[in-house]
Amino acid sequence: MALSKEVYKEFEDVVGEENICDDPAIMPSYYNTEFAAVMLPGNTAEVQALVRLCNKHKLKFRPICTGWSGMFPKGIILMDLRRMNHIIEINEKNMYAVVEPYVISSELQAELMKRGLNFCIKGAGTTCSAMLRGHGHMDQTTSGDDRNHLAIEWVTPEGEIVRTGALGSSDEWFSGDGPGPSLRSILTSAVPPGVTPGVFTKAALKLYHWPGPAKFPVVGHSPKYVLSEIPPNMMARYFSFPSVEKMWQAELKLGEAEICYELMGFNAAMVAANITTCNEEDEKMFNRLNKEVQGPGFFVIIAGNSAEDFTYKKKVLEKIVSDAGGKSLKTVEDPEIEGILMCQCIRISASIRETFRPGGAFNSIPIMGQRDLTIKWAIGAGKAKEPLIKKGYIVDDGGAFFGWGVEQGHLGKTEIFCKFDPRNAEAKAAVEGWQKEQTARAFKEHYFASTMGPQDEIGPALSNYHLWWRKLVRAIDPNGVSPEGGSLV
Amino acid sequence: MGLEQYKGDMEMCCRCSACKFIPMQKVNGSQFSYACPSISRYNFHSYSGGGRVNIGAAMLKNGFNYTDKLLHIVYNCQMDGACGVSCNYAMDMEVLQPIQEFRIKCVQDGHTHPALDKVIAGLRKTGAMVPAQGKRGDWAAGLDLKDATKEKVDVLYHVGCLTSYDKDYQKLARATAKILQKAGVDFGIAGNTETCCGGRAYQMGYEADFLNQAKKNMAMVKKSGAKTLVTGCADGYQAFKVLYDKYDLKGSLKVLHISEYIDKLIRDGTLKPRKKVNLSVTYHDPCRLGRLGESWVHWTGKKVPGDKFVFDPPKEYRRGTKGVYEPPRDVLRSIPGVKLTEMTRIKEYSWCCGAGGGVNDSNPDFNLWTAKKRIEEAISTGAEAIVTACPWCEKNFNEAIKESGSGLKVYDIVELVEKAL
Repeated sequence: MALSKEVYKEFEDVVGEENICDDPAIMPSYYNTEFAAVMLPGNTAEVQALVRLCNKHKLKFRPICTGWSGMFPKGIILMDLRRMNHIIEINEKNMYAVVEPYVISSELQAELMKRGLNFCIKGAGTTCSAMLRGHGHMDQTTSGDDRNHLAIEWVTPEGEIVRTGALGSSDEWFSGDGPGPSLRSILTSAVPPGVTPGVFTKAALKLYHWPGPAKFPVVGHSPKYVLSEIPPNMMARYFSFPSVEKMWQAELKLGEAEICYELMGFNAAMVAANITTCNEEDEKMFNRLNKEVQGPGFFVIIAGNSAEDFTYKKKVLEKIVSDAGGKSLKTVEDPEIEGILMCQCIRISASIRETFRPGGAFNSIPIMGQRDLTIKWAIGAGKAKEPLIKKGYIVDDGGAFFGWGVEQGHLGKTEIFCKFDPRNAEAKAAVEGWQKEQTARAFKEHYFASTMGPQDEIGPALSNYHLWWRKLVRAIDPNGVSPEGGSLV
Repeated sequence: MGLEQYKGDMEMCCRCSACKFIPMQKVNGSQFSYACPSISRYNFHSYSGGGRVNIGAAMLKNGFNYTDKLLHIVYNCQMDGACGVSCNYAMDMEVLQPIQEFRIKCVQDGHTHPALDKVIAGLRKTGAMVPAQGKRGDWAAGLDLKDATKEKVDVLYHVGCLTSYDKDYQKLARATAKILQKAGVDFGIAGNTETCCGGRAYQMGYEADFLNQAKKNMAMVKKSGAKTLVTGCADGYQAFKVLYDKYDLKGSLKVLHISEYIDKLIRDGTLKPRKKVNLSVTYHDPCRLGRLGESWVHWTGKKVPGDKFVFDPPKEYRRGTKGVYEPPRDVLRSIPGVKLTEMTRIKEYSWCCGAGGGVNDSNPDFNLWTAKKRIEEAISTGAEAIVTACPWCEKNFNEAIKESGSGLKVYDIVELVEKAL
């Protein structure tokens, strides 16, 4: 699969000697995949030149941003976009930011908070690219996915540079739908394969008002950072409810009242993971919280634009929660823990604690739709976890699921994890079996799970979209150089 | 056991990239968000903490394939531990230890770096990590200091290689001695008998040479009768306090960095900085005084079988939390006229000066590149001077400033204390 010296030289001439490597020593750090070469383009022009060379030599390629996950066929070229790490513009007036692929969410958010702005950071965490598609803890107010990608600069699989939305007819990035070409349906495909061929080299992200501080007053040392004080007009609480129905009732009303900056349907296990600094502490805290909660629940952050606004939101929150029989978790009322959760769940800085810390891996099934319906599906998926917990294959989280409202509960996302040790082959097989079985159940019961596939099975139920998609891909990638391969985080 | 003992840790890496950045809650914008000089300079994931443990895990499984690129990755790392601090914000796994073991294995397998071989040859010959011109104790001429190899002392001042031999930095040793004299401390030096702590040899992967130095030093300490050892160098501090303990060589010796000792002397009223030093400064935390200065934790246990990466007995990770962060700052605050402004990357997530891991010898360009990044950050605070507590950092910063033409001044903390007394 190695590139010939001549072809290697052609690529090297584009990115420079320092930014191309085919040495086997580096491959274990890139997903243990034997790539033909790894290249580090520094700008759009270099990406374009590399893509054109790929077409010339009929070589397959895939790009990565921060590169947390992805699936890669052996022998392809990997474009690591790490050198494209600039915030191009923060347009406060029109409320968008233009970024390159390797700007991480944490960097962009910190710049935005100084300007009273924020954006949707995806649940994968703040170490990931700000350009990442998906959903996150702040979906209640910032929405997710398609809403937030405005104009995009896209190097197509043939090496053309396409500027979509407003950018296609002007130098402005404010809209994804025009007056230039809207290619949203291609660029943000939500169904498998979920990844557009080619390379996104810049994207404008929609910004939202941020009522909180320009910077959280973080003190202490890693791994226990705390806030020296709760910022004015902000509050974080966790409420548990006597039943799923009651919880949903409260969630819906809170959405209607539009008072929550964040409404994150954490379960007790995820709260415990967030506020603890190691696995042993996590286990103890989970047992404690499990005794404290009366049933399913969610975590809420309210943020007032003024003292009056805060008082109003707080009163509405208390009334709605009380009407639904909700109970505030005393542990989270402790200002230290409240501060940790508030900061981490705005900055999305503890996703790894929730997912990878316990066992080293997790498998998840995220489903989108109306929250009360998707919760019903998730309860079943949770029950199906119980035998795995009993056998010690997965971490005991009480079979819990989680999720959150999107756009004030207009939509919702529900997700369920199995956390496990991937080196335990039996556990791995059991978790994969669970995921397959529960995804199939979601499909059968007419829920949309992003783990669904393959396309030939689900396509017929979705207007044969897969046939159209393949035609599109053939049209934009006639040389087949930009293969599918799972989401890129 | 070597690298093998960290197999489980290396396999835990989820490739989240946290190791490349300072802890996420401390990221304050698009500037100064990177933690690791190596990945920042060379960009391939292989140069990050995560990439290094990925390679370690794969090579343990599939065999070691030493290519030039692999050795470039191995030796272009300051071994500064920033990756581990950021990782350990969320994960329970060792990061720097397997990276260190990988380097030790490279040396044991004969895959060394020629520039480092040369340094180690010098160490074996002269007991110093720098060219030994003149005698090691020459700096003390005229100061009338006790010879700890001949007289019993309460405190042994271990000067270190660079400060002893480099004429530009001998001023730090003299300042330290004068401060201790003013405080009336019963201290001594080993003078010409002093030998390298071995810390840098360890960072470079030469474990046997490190152990040889450690044994010589502890024999000398025993002979001196000193119960407390004070170092002026962060490498020495880490070696005596942490590494000697790791190898069960430290015994009950109390090890303090000079900044800790001065802080103690100021607190108990023995030292009173009275003279005004009008200077706005920013403080650079040396890696081996800060995050890597945390005490060694002796632990043996086994992974509990099952779903979680937990151990019996529970394992306490060294996450950089307990380094020496406040004493040097308190000393600076105690000097009249000194105004301290912090940089973005401080304490456990401080940016390295560039010299660690032997990089100053193996790749002077990368060493300087790293130092320049720190100087840019120091300048961004508006301070007139960057203060540090390690001669290696001071030397690096001076070279970076000389090359970049900046007007920033560089001081070791003892120089400012001496001015204030």
